[in-house]
Amino acid sequence: MHNSYTFSEFSKQSPKGIFIIYVAEIYRAIKLFWIFLFILFKDYSKFSSYGVNYIYLGVVLLLLLLFLRAYLIYINFQYKIAHQHFILEKGILKKTLIEIPFHRIQNINFKQNIVQQIIGVFEVSIETAGSKDTEIAIKALSLEKAETLKATITQGQKLVNKVVEEENLEPIVKISFFDLLRVSLTENHLQNLFLFFAVVIGFFNQIQQISDSFGQSEALDGYISESTSNLSESIVLVTILVILLTVIALLSSFVKVVLIHFNLSAYLKDDAFEINQGLLTKKSIVLKKQKIQNVTISTNPLKRLIGISFITFKQAVSGKVNNKKKEKLIRLVGCKKQQIEILKKSVFHELSVEKSVKQNPDSYYKKILFFWTGLFLLICYTVIFYFINHIEVFYSLLVIIPVTTLLLLKKVKKRCYQISEEMLIVGKGLLETHLTYLDIFKVQHIKIKQSIFQKGSNVADLVLQTASGKIEIPCIAYQEAIKIYNHTLYKVETSNAPWM
Amino acid sequence: MSEHFKNELVTNLPNIATTPFQKIDKKYFKVISINFFLITLFICIGLFLLQQFFFSESILKYNIYEYIGVILFSFIFYLYFFLAFPKRKYALREKDISYKSGLLFLKTTTVPFSRIQHVETDEKPISRIFKLASLSVFTAGDSSDDLVIKGIKKQEALKIKEFISSKINA
Repeated sequence: MHNSYTFSEFSKQSPKGIFIIYVAEIYRAIKLFWIFLFILFKDYSKFSSYGVNYIYLGVVLLLLLLFLRAYLIYINFQYKIAHQHFILEKGILKKTLIEIPFHRIQNINFKQNIVQQIIGVFEVSIETAGSKDTEIAIKALSLEKAETLKATITQGQKLVNKVVEEENLEPIVKISFFDLLRVSLTENHLQNLFLFFAVVIGFFNQIQQISDSFGQSEALDGYISESTSNLSESIVLVTILVILLTVIALLSSFVKVVLIHFNLSAYLKDDAFEINQGLLTKKSIVLKKQKIQNVTISTNPLKRLIGISFITFKQAVSGKVNNKKKEKLIRLVGCKKQQIEILKKSVFHELSVEKSVKQNPDSYYKKILFFWTGLFLLICYTVIFYFINHIEVFYSLLVIIPVTTLLLLKKVKKRCYQISEEMLIVGKGLLETHLTYLDIFKVQHIKIKQSIFQKGSNVADLVLQTASGKIEIPCIAYQEAIKIYNHTLYKVETSNAPWM
Repeated sequence: MSEHFKNELVTNLPNIATTPFQKIDKKYFKVISINFFLITLFICIGLFLLQQFFFSESILKYNIYEYIGVILFSFIFYLYFFLAFPKRKYALREKDISYKSGLLFLKTTTVPFSRIQHVETDEKPISRIFKLASLSVFTAGDSSDDLVIKGIKKQEALKIKEFISSKINA
């Protein structure tokens, strides 16, 4: 490794960092003021040439101020390593000093957005489990320096953990562009379509709010109502819409998959995975095996057809599981069967659990599922019938009932669990199939739930809380649930292995 | 570990179903009652204000029924609390703490000491009158529904807290 950097003295980022910070600041400013820009462009012709000059002057002044700010941020940002701690000093007026002991560092990730790629620097983020304020991002480091920093910290951690390093640089998973295409074709398109519309609707809401405030809502509303009335009349339009939706769904899946997973490659090291992926923002993630709370292997009928599945690693989160924390889910798409096997074997010590008997929930589960779905449909149809007073409405039941029944039966069939001494596998899914693998000793606490109706059938729900969320096994025989409950507690209380 | 631990042994494991659970302090029901009374009172005052200032003539005819409705509704709730109260139990074992509750929906939670991040006791104003406290333990991850035991004697709560703290640090 490079010994040219010791990090014992305070050092700053690469000078190129000023530019990176500058671009980030401009981006932030645009995000804050984009509504003004929108108005500016819309009514551009209304401004006299005299006013335009002022606007230009303002923009130039703002850019200069931002540059000054970027420079100050750069000057005041320095870090060093001392006695097994990472120390960071930052802030222009409000000075902040952050000290993180090595053993609290969960991950060191490299990231490159498009600007950083052009300039050739890396963003290094240091993740800790625990308080959310101690996520550190060093915006610009040269590759050499970034790798040395990472090596220094990981070696420091090794001293604590006493693990022998042995690097294996052959990627276990590598996804080519063509493979990625196949992955994107087999994505859950429905979900991506919803995501796309959520974004679009959010965008339109924002635009509408602005135009509302300018009293132009009638025009937009008129346009919408006009197009909807046309729509209901013309079947051609509906067909076009369906085709359009399909195309949008496929495209949005494709764009999403390519953006996130471009050039995906995963390396297996003795105690960690290293995962590199991304098109515009390249990410390099180091995932410690020990810190993985559970692993989910998912597939769907399309993916099964071409023999691939995706695998999700979950790490510990602190506090409420919110959207921001979703970044801690690390996903490998398009894994082939033998790759999955390698990954599983490397995370878990033994997999005898896969040979144990697959157990399904009690028939009570099926009954309650059908009961609630039936009730839901009944309410839906009552409401619909109340508004559309035609008996023809009920013809749709001819399709709805078989489809729902089929789906529910699939859901029931996919609900299963396998348990062994050390491990638990919980399966669930509707169209997709998710199998979650969990080391029993990593459970945080355990809960057993039983409603008065379940008591009659002598079944109960079991909820295992891990540091990365709940895992539920619904409606299993009460005696069985108690057995698992006792066994889990036994495993947790006798294990000395660190859960994180 | 798996060599000297066989699956048959499972039947000999400490069993949660046969563990003796301890009821919470009876005085806590008084706290529930007072809270309940206060809430019902607030709803009634709210209803009264609504009737005085917002309701139209046509609704005002049913005034008395509204009060009866509210009181009946809260009485049913109160009855449920009364019946469910004896179900609130906790158990402290050598290596974990458990709590169970619920009349229609029974729930049992166990948190092993080795996974506890921190312990907290707190006293709400009304509980303080009766020298009661609640004990909460927090684990890693989404801590929204970790274990909370409400209504134990303050001395007892502090003792348990001390006990757990010593176990965590050990």
